[in-house]
Amino acid sequence: MKTKLIIGLLAIGLLFPAKSNAQSLPSGKSIADKTHARDEGVSMSRTLTMELKDKRGKVRIRETTSLRKYFGEEKRLAIFYLTPKSVMGTAFLTYDYPDPSVDDDQWLYMPALRKTRRISAANRGDYFLGTDLTYEDIKLETRISRDDYNYKTIGKELINGHESYVLEGNPINDKIAKELGYSKVKLWVDAKIWMLRKADSWDIAGNFLKTTEITDIKQVQGIWTYHQIHVKNHKTNHQTYFRISDIDYQTEISDDTFTKEALVNGL
Amino acid sequence: MLQKYKIAIVLLLSLAGANAQEKQNKFKESFKASLVVTSDFSYEFNSESLQKSEIIFKPEFSYRLNRKSKFVLKGQLYTELNDNLEAGVPKENTVSNMSKRLFIGDRTNLELREFYFYTSIKNILRLTIGKQQIVWGETDGLKLLDVVNPQNFREFILDDFEDSRIPLWSLKAEFDIKTIGVQFVWIPDNTYHITQDFDAPFFTKSLFQTPPEGVSAVFNKTLKPNRFIADSDIGLKLSTFTKGWDLSLNYFYYYDDLPVFYSQLNISETNSPFIEINPKFERQHLIGGTFNKVIGSSTFRGEVAYIFNQNLSSTNSNASRGIETSNVFKSAIGIDYIKGENIISAQLFSDIITDDISPYNRDKFETNTSLKISREMMNDNLTAEVLWVHNANHGDGYVKPQVSYWINTNTQLFLGSSIFYGNETQLFGQFKDKSRISLGMRWGI
Repeated sequence: MKTKLIIGLLAIGLLFPAKSNAQSLPSGKSIADKTHARDEGVSMSRTLTMELKDKRGKVRIRETTSLRKYFGEEKRLAIFYLTPKSVMGTAFLTYDYPDPSVDDDQWLYMPALRKTRRISAANRGDYFLGTDLTYEDIKLETRISRDDYNYKTIGKELINGHESYVLEGNPINDKIAKELGYSKVKLWVDAKIWMLRKADSWDIAGNFLKTTEITDIKQVQGIWTYHQIHVKNHKTNHQTYFRISDIDYQTEISDDTFTKEALVNGL
Repeated sequence: MLQKYKIAIVLLLSLAGANAQEKQNKFKESFKASLVVTSDFSYEFNSESLQKSEIIFKPEFSYRLNRKSKFVLKGQLYTELNDNLEAGVPKENTVSNMSKRLFIGDRTNLELREFYFYTSIKNILRLTIGKQQIVWGETDGLKLLDVVNPQNFREFILDDFEDSRIPLWSLKAEFDIKTIGVQFVWIPDNTYHITQDFDAPFFTKSLFQTPPEGVSAVFNKTLKPNRFIADSDIGLKLSTFTKGWDLSLNYFYYYDDLPVFYSQLNISETNSPFIEINPKFERQHLIGGTFNKVIGSSTFRGEVAYIFNQNLSSTNSNASRGIETSNVFKSAIGIDYIKGENIISAQLFSDIITDDISPYNRDKFETNTSLKISREMMNDNLTAEVLWVHNANHGDGYVKPQVSYWINTNTQLFLGSSIFYGNETQLFGQFKDKSRISLGMRWGI
């Protein structure tokens, strides 16, 4: 009787392997939470170089210094343009609030006008300063959204030799889909360090839109840090390489750096 | 023994070498230099000739003493090949000696655009001392609170404000009181607007009353303030960001950057009547404020300025020396709507003379509007925009379409036009024969 029971259980296991495999995979929500729980340090300074390459191979390079600091759960980010020299001094400031229902506050300082313009952050699906990432992509910074998608964890794959969970995400409703500019995403999240390693996304019409690959991930001052992001837009064949260097999580950044006045005074 | 000395010398030299290398590396890190070159060639439709052919070299140097202090120097070499906008060597009577340009012949001049020391003292007080630009206000195109620095009107208001604004020797001190940012400015530099001569392309004749037929006009020397302390300007700005609102309150005690043209009818020794004009700069008080707030995809912004005792040319024959005085209330509200790569920006300006006077060539209540539409294309490679400024009272204005294109990382091309329309006695209409098409380039390294 006992033997029959064991055989029966084994048979069930053989008949429904997928079900038991799915049960062993963490939910999308828990993976999203883990990407947000990752240590990012309180403050950070870095050089961010954006290389924009169009379909004919023409390359434009923008170098920036980027400063970030947490004020409690509120994240503030300031980006100062270093090149091209003719737009040097252009600076961008964001207050990213923990409540997802509250829009970020954003300012752009334009040295040609010597004025700081307030910018709406409502259009989070707009492209960030001519690159192939949206404002929302930039804001998430290799984390995945906790609120915008219904996720399904579909398996595990190796990305550049690193075991990663594969998730499919669909925006929770049409309004969110329109805001984000995506109808579907497929994400590969590192199962060990909980960092996004790759993402595919589809536009609102369902066309394959772009692929994002995050590489050269290593620890800096004990914090897992990406050093390169490559984004290819399959519709326009435009590509952006984000290269990150001079990363410092221990530098002291004054609170005053994240003010409109600081944008005017520059670095 | 000798061997020991040799070793010591080698060690010292290597230490000195390492020290020198360290110093060199530190200098490299602290010192930054850049150069931007712009060129702009404009063809005037009416005269079928080149109106402007300028090439500007803008070197910039900064040296950071430490994380909180830096020196910044911005120079400029300006050349106008056809010597048209500011023909010859201008006298610059309205410019203080310490801010004058150095002319090399008629076509070229050197200018120290900015030279200042910035420091943050214990993260409490931020000081900027030296020649600099201080800009207030929220509006584009027309100025309400942006009156701290004067302007060169060699191209009326077509030139980029960055180029036309005249930097001044001044002190800017910034500190915070709780959540309120305080900015104090002190400007001992007695430099005022550079207006153009009668025969210059952008001479603003609408400002001057034409003498009656047969009556000549004599311009006397402009009385310009020249006392370092007593004639300096001071300003205060309080600003805060609360519940999504950016707010500022501004006060400025200053000399109006345009002189008051006191005039009176005289009789010459030969018994001929003539108008004697005595320009003089006068003091004013200004209080004002700004706000902006984002709602959805739109940014609402506004600016107000109330000027006490503004002197205005008058048509009232009883006016003392042709001038009447009134308080003036100026306001502007604007909206910037962003959708994808498109920005629509609209502004409504009002200018009200509060006293019962008879101003020359303007209504007591004037309204201007502006509309700017711009679109970024090809991952911000190409930008197309059009600006339209219109005076509702007199029906004059101008339209300025422009496209710009990045041909590589460091080079941007511009093609644009400026088209004035309206009655030629009015502010914008007077330049309708100055409408032009422009081609320019900006390159930096």
